[in-house]
Amino acid sequence: MDGFVAKSLPAPTARKLWQRDRAVQLALVWLTVVLAVVVFADRLAPYDYAALDLRHRLAAPVGFGGDVAHLLGSDELGRDVLSRLIVSIRMSLLIAFGATLIGASLGTMLGFLAAHFRGWVEQVILACVDFQASMPFLILALAVLAFFGNSLVLFVALLGLHGWERYARVTRALAMSAGAQGYVMAVHQLGAGPWRLYLRHVLPNIASTLIVTMTLAFPDIILLESGLSFLGLGVQPPLTSLGNMVGYGRDYLTRAPWILVLPSLVISLTTLSISLVGDWLRDRIDKTLS
Amino acid sequence: MMAAPLLRAEGLVRRYRLRQGVFRHPVTVKAVDSLSLSVARGETLGIVGESGCGKSTTGRLLAGLEPPDSGTISFGGEPLPAAGHARWRRLRTRIQMVFQDPLGALDRRLTIGEQIAEPLEIHRLGSKSERADRVKTLLVDVGLRPDHGARYPHELSGGQRQRAVLARALATDPDLIVCDEPVSALDVSIQAQVINLLADLKEQRRMAMIFISHDLRVVRQISDRIAVMYLGVIVEEGDPNLVLRDPLHPYSQALISAVPTPGAGRRRDRTVLQGDPPNPAARPRGCAFHPRCPAALPVCAQLAPELTSAGEGRRVACHLVEAAGEGRKETV
Amino acid sequence: MARFVAIRLARALLTIGMVVTFAFVVLRASGDPARAMLSPETPAAAVEAFRKAWGLDAPVGVQYARYVLAIVQGDLGQSMRDGRAAITVVAERIPVTLMLTGPALALNLLLGIPAGIYAALKHGRLADRLVMAIAVAGFTVPSFVLGLVLVLAFAVELPWFPSGGAGTLRQLVLPVVTLGLGGAAVLARFTRSAMLEVLGQSYIRTASAKGVPWRGVVTGHALPNAAIPVLTIVGFMVGNLIAGTVLVESVFSWPGVGSLLVVSVVSRDLAVVQCILLVVAAAMIVTNVSVDLLYGVLDPRLRDASYPIGGA
Repeated sequence: MDGFVAKSLPAPTARKLWQRDRAVQLALVWLTVVLAVVVFADRLAPYDYAALDLRHRLAAPVGFGGDVAHLLGSDELGRDVLSRLIVSIRMSLLIAFGATLIGASLGTMLGFLAAHFRGWVEQVILACVDFQASMPFLILALAVLAFFGNSLVLFVALLGLHGWERYARVTRALAMSAGAQGYVMAVHQLGAGPWRLYLRHVLPNIASTLIVTMTLAFPDIILLESGLSFLGLGVQPPLTSLGNMVGYGRDYLTRAPWILVLPSLVISLTTLSISLVGDWLRDRIDKTLS
Repeated sequence: MMAAPLLRAEGLVRRYRLRQGVFRHPVTVKAVDSLSLSVARGETLGIVGESGCGKSTTGRLLAGLEPPDSGTISFGGEPLPAAGHARWRRLRTRIQMVFQDPLGALDRRLTIGEQIAEPLEIHRLGSKSERADRVKTLLVDVGLRPDHGARYPHELSGGQRQRAVLARALATDPDLIVCDEPVSALDVSIQAQVINLLADLKEQRRMAMIFISHDLRVVRQISDRIAVMYLGVIVEEGDPNLVLRDPLHPYSQALISAVPTPGAGRRRDRTVLQGDPPNPAARPRGCAFHPRCPAALPVCAQLAPELTSAGEGRRVACHLVEAAGEGRKETV
Repeated sequence: MARFVAIRLARALLTIGMVVTFAFVVLRASGDPARAMLSPETPAAAVEAFRKAWGLDAPVGVQYARYVLAIVQGDLGQSMRDGRAAITVVAERIPVTLMLTGPALALNLLLGIPAGIYAALKHGRLADRLVMAIAVAGFTVPSFVLGLVLVLAFAVELPWFPSGGAGTLRQLVLPVVTLGLGGAAVLARFTRSAMLEVLGQSYIRTASAKGVPWRGVVTGHALPNAAIPVLTIVGFMVGNLIAGTVLVESVFSWPGVGSLLVVSVVSRDLAVVQCILLVVAAAMIVTNVSVDLLYGVLDPRLRDASYPIGGA
């Protein structure tokens, strides 16, 4: 993403803005840490996240009366909170990545379809966009979970349906304005089919806006995932995610607050960081969204 | 005409629905009104006219990029297929279009070489290495260096970009190129170079060309025949020297007298056009030019004149000329 | 104006139709409803009888028509958990939830709008940055986390308020604050940018240059004009509030529609879930239509527009 920023801006301005936005810098540092945790989760976790240690149940973290065996304490079954946190970060982030990609692909495709076919296809897609935008997604998601039951694949696919309408809207508008521009007309008259036209030419030209949209949608998906998991309707045990940990820790709020404090903090800091970076990207690179 | 022409258009009509203001009812505008013309193999037809006269629409119709509302176009003896069909897409190897703005016509995220190779890829012509060779040859043919192929559009000058666009258009060795104002976005000094390049290319490749421009001097330089358009119709058509030296239609006269040509222009009084500039949304009855015509007759406001032969391969659509021609016949 | 209202109503009906169809499609696509609703041990004959009784043996088109007809007649099926009509089960929870969302919405508006205006007027200064920092934090912290933090602070450490349940005024405080703060943060950010936009307009500078006192410029010109863009996100905010209610009711064991939804999803009480879906859709439509009509009042230019400016 760095090269992409540098290319779009004259270097001195970029550097100056960069120095000014200390909050964005901190956000990027945090996101780097989180990404490192995602990649190296297996090596970082001191224990298996599901391993029981019944002699150390509800052990407090180091510094709060606990010992080094469980740096961040343990839960009711003696499972290591640090290990669970690391694995949960990976689970939540991977789900959010997957869902964001699904939403972006689906929305972009529908946006292209609407721009390409116009007519009733466009009207149907726009009606769906309106519908999606006017219903709180959490409620729709709960309804689907009620009807279908739960599995990890279904859950990711369901979260992928969140936010597709933003990509569809943006893509449709940009593809239509690109269609009025010379290069699309020029490539069309070379005899290019729609696949080549949209994927090889239009998509790279609107990619920066789509990436900004993805960055802005990502925190929402993390919040949605953790919310549903908190309710016990998302990621199912024995798997664990940040929302799961908070939901589980709620029952030990008075006795072992450490179980839920750190995952809560991680959720908040991560969504905050991505929002900051997303806003920064939008302001600097893409003014069509604001 | 001897052989069958490469391209023949008959009675083309193209209407647009124009919205004036967001909530008004749309107005139908006739951009092209029963227009007929033909282009022979290897011939260059210049189309001139003011902006809004329908010459760009004519170009897109003839290139097959837009369907006419009525009328027929045949290319190589067969009717032009509708856009999007497999046959239409294959035809794209034989008809190419060059637009006014070379920067807009190029994808700024791909290199020049990739874009020149694109028609070859689309139509699956040649192997990968053959395509690479072909791109190099094309770049040299249009006066660029082979290493320009690795650059991006914004790294080239305006003239170089238009050369690249031409190279792309030539990639499939088309029989016809439609150029819509290909040089008007360029600096005057560069215009001549690109025009000379076009003239050389059509000589070497013996391809037909339709050259659309508002600039009479440019059109004259390159055309074998020119057509003057006014509000969607051809008002005069013929050999460029004849039409430009001795225009018969009052509109051609006005257009030509407006060009500061050294020597030629001095002989005549300058005809200055009266009235409002043409508005395709409010097309006058009869001859579309009559409200501005210095010599309009009563019949001009009633009846649209037909494009009829005026001798020496020339055709004119004007009641005055028709009347004069009949008079000439009687005296002969 | 009649045309304006008619278009809004047509769109509202379309949305309801889509929710109804959504529920039907999802129900059909999720497999055999008979299998979903009956336990796996049910004998085949009983499953058949169930199918006949519910008309599940008819073609899909007929089923859809019957389903829509039943909904139009107000028949939303029965709750599997307690056997009463689903609509009754849901209806008795609605006032409980409104007790929560009403004050929360008020808190959104009373906190968010003034904070946004204040930040805009102090643009670039420390106060602005402080308000915005809090606002950004406010909507990136999930509501259930905020709720638990409040419980930890004001129910566990400082036992000022009960940590859950409903009935007393004291029990209302923590959930309302939880629900209100998130929305206030969103609203503050949006109000600030709308105000800044308006304050940059030429008519504000003109009014100011004419000698209208700054206070008059703000209250007379800037606020009314900033109100219109702020209206556009009211629909979005109500949607957020509804979604937030589900989580917050769960955190505070508040016996409203949100808790009912979670319980019904867990026990797959489909009739109740579908009924809640329709109630939420109706709430969203009422909100959006009122917002649209309010636009018409606030901005006369939009009254004749045939194209909608806001959402559905």
